Amino acid sequence: MLKFDHVSYAYPGAAYTVNDLSFAIHPGEIVALIGSNGAGKSTVSRLANGLLRPDSGHVYVDGEDTGKVRTSAIAKKVGFLFQNPDRQICQNTVREEVAFGPQVQGMPEEEVRQRTEEMLETFELNGDWFPFTRSRGERQRIALASVLACKPKLVILDEPTTGLDYRECIRIMDYITGLNRETGLTVLMVSHDMELVQEYAKRVMVLTDGRLVGEGPTGQIMKDMSILEQAHVLPAQIPMLALRFGEQFSDVYTVEEMAEAIRREKRISSGAPIEKRAGTRNRKASKGKGGAQA
Amino acid sequence: MIACKDFSFCYKGQEHNALSNINLVIEDGDFVGITGNSGAGKSTLTYAFSGIVPHHFPGDFYGEVKVNGIDTVDVQTEELARFVGEVFQDIDSQMVSSEVEDELLFGLENFGLPHEQIGERLDEVLAMLQIQELRHREISSLSGGQKQKVAIASILAMQPEIIVLDEPTGELDPKSTIMIYEILKRLNEEFGKTIVVVEQKIMMLSQYAKRIVVLDEGKIVFNGKSGEIVEQQPLFDTLGISVPRVVRLGNQLKEEGLYDGAVPTDVDHAERMVKEVLGW
Amino acid sequence: MNLLDYVPGDSFLHRLNPVMKLLAAFLYGIACILCGSVLMELFYIVLMILISSFAGLQKRALRLTRNLLVLGLIMFLLQLLFVRTGDPLLVIGGFCVFTVGGLKSALLLSLRIVATMLPLMLLFAITRMNDLCGALVKRLHVPYRYAFIVTTAFRFVPLFTTEFHDIEDAQKSRGVEYDTGNIFHRIRLIVPLFVPLLISSMKKVDAGAMSAQLRGFNLRTVDSGYHEYPFHKEDAVCLVFLAAVLAAAVVSMVL
Repeated sequence: MLKFDHVSYAYPGAAYTVNDLSFAIHPGEIVALIGSNGAGKSTVSRLANGLLRPDSGHVYVDGEDTGKVRTSAIAKKVGFLFQNPDRQICQNTVREEVAFGPQVQGMPEEEVRQRTEEMLETFELNGDWFPFTRSRGERQRIALASVLACKPKLVILDEPTTGLDYRECIRIMDYITGLNRETGLTVLMVSHDMELVQEYAKRVMVLTDGRLVGEGPTGQIMKDMSILEQAHVLPAQIPMLALRFGEQFSDVYTVEEMAEAIRREKRISSGAPIEKRAGTRNRKASKGKGGAQA
Repeated sequence: MIACKDFSFCYKGQEHNALSNINLVIEDGDFVGITGNSGAGKSTLTYAFSGIVPHHFPGDFYGEVKVNGIDTVDVQTEELARFVGEVFQDIDSQMVSSEVEDELLFGLENFGLPHEQIGERLDEVLAMLQIQELRHREISSLSGGQKQKVAIASILAMQPEIIVLDEPTGELDPKSTIMIYEILKRLNEEFGKTIVVVEQKIMMLSQYAKRIVVLDEGKIVFNGKSGEIVEQQPLFDTLGISVPRVVRLGNQLKEEGLYDGAVPTDVDHAERMVKEVLGW
Repeated sequence: MNLLDYVPGDSFLHRLNPVMKLLAAFLYGIACILCGSVLMELFYIVLMILISSFAGLQKRALRLTRNLLVLGLIMFLLQLLFVRTGDPLLVIGGFCVFTVGGLKSALLLSLRIVATMLPLMLLFAITRMNDLCGALVKRLHVPYRYAFIVTTAFRFVPLFTTEFHDIEDAQKSRGVEYDTGNIFHRIRLIVPLFVPLLISSMKKVDAGAMSAQLRGFNLRTVDSGYHEYPFHKEDAVCLVFLAAVLAAAVVSMVL
């Protein structure tokens, strides 16, 4: 779906921000790209949707070389959710906003209408709202709806947690993962929030100074302290805790798994079986409560 | 000291109160974290402390907010600025200069600090935040964390007793976030400043704040010592606010009767808890 | 690099009083406008490039001269064809293409454009906007409010440029085609660029005003400024030099 082949890029007058980078993301994957501010994450995501072209090497989106097609052509395949929804919202109503993307991309009118209503429903948005005065979380949802209205095959989420509260963030991530399951949407999330990455990404790539310093299944990266340290990110708590308790806890990543492992160990050490209880859900996203005032 | 009594506020032209019936006292020397979902009224509350509400944003103001005994409605914001300094959410637009030194000078010049004291004050503030080397830099060339430090310094220069910060680390990475909190901690402990910080990351508050106030739909739903938040997990779950994973683990082990010590808020403490449970 | 950006430095020119620099740029410009001889005008251009070199800015001055010459050339051609004083100089088939007077005034005008712009470039290159406004407030008692508006406007230019690029990126990545040639199509696509820019500017300006107000903007007086901007001997030297430049221009006008 997305392939970087020995890609290097430098902003004019600067040293390399991305240096000889190669990786591939396959259709239907949810991959996280992590690293500290200034590691080159934004550059990678802008290279992936054709806003930037590599100085050397090639970027392929759905088999097409971004160096050979126009940005607007790539935009039909890659949806990009920016940190700040206000840079995107430009129409008088939410409905017009959501329809705007598909319209400029030349989707037939009837399909646009249908798609727009579908998106409004999925994202629990009122089409008649004046978008500019909605809350930050709602504006982010409007932006996401208008990005996904274009039916991209790959969606890039640039720091989806920034400026959003946890509830809104979970809400957005749940929509995304739902679409991933149902339609095979490929997702690249750029983030430094390891708890979020751990919860949603299947695979993690670690970027430091424009180079990939680590790559692998989420669980494996979560416990690789040397890589996380290089990336200057705060490790997720439970994997870090599990790491301190040796092999019996090697496949522990979540609160439930940790509690389960503790119960198991306790049973073994005391020799007596203890009653097993249902664990509480790890997280809860309460839906349908939107504040109106920032 | 800040004291809100039966304070409610409704922005002009809005139907619902942004804040309802707030009763809150912030003592001198405290480190208070304010959290809650977006739209809960956190920013409005900080605006009330610095007088922006109701002086800059008009609306219906009920009850009273007193800063060091002065009713905020009665005096202009400039008067309050001697006691309360506020760092806003969007640091880029609150900067008034293009160079760091000028940014720090702005408030000092305006408030008429005698010129012979200004040099000394600048040195002092730069040293407090350890940003001496940034003094002559262009603000546009600074990183996010550096900008945040300059913003704090420019407020600190006016020597307010209370410093209010609205999501100071919202756009920073974890490393810079910790750096900013370490600075706030130092200002609180070494220099006796009262710190009020709006923050989404409960984990940072549980580590640094002394007290936490939780807002929901304009009302205070929790106000207590930061250590007590571990007992508030059900509340946070209903509000959809993220609770540190180790707190969840601790609460779950407690619920299952496996553990009955203090619920941990960091990994080191959690390690001790698990060892205790397992009898290792 | 922008031709109007400040270039940090510690040269003799940088150290002049900002008010003096402004006056100097103004007087030099007047001299170039008054000047009535082509040779003199050329001399002023060369002199200004030389002066710029004291601040290490000769490259920038040369680049600006080159850019301005393009504009000068257009003015030259227009002037050449429309001014019909003096003897005919080039006659083709009985039709007078241009005259002596036309050639002279065309040359003068195009050189004048270059000559008057150069000192302005130098002014911005060696003076920080904040210093200029601070000095105007301190020395000439210009109301701070106006000075603040000017510095803020200058400060916002790069901020808005960045914001504009980010907005453009955001719109491009949802498929708005800024890369097509069709002019009408592109005009229609201005809305997605300017609406977000307008909204973000309004927010930024409001936040800026709020922050300035909290930090006592309204309390400010003429004496508030910390920096003093005194005049020095060098400023007097500069003034004498400018008097000479101006006198030469007047003489060239009379001759």
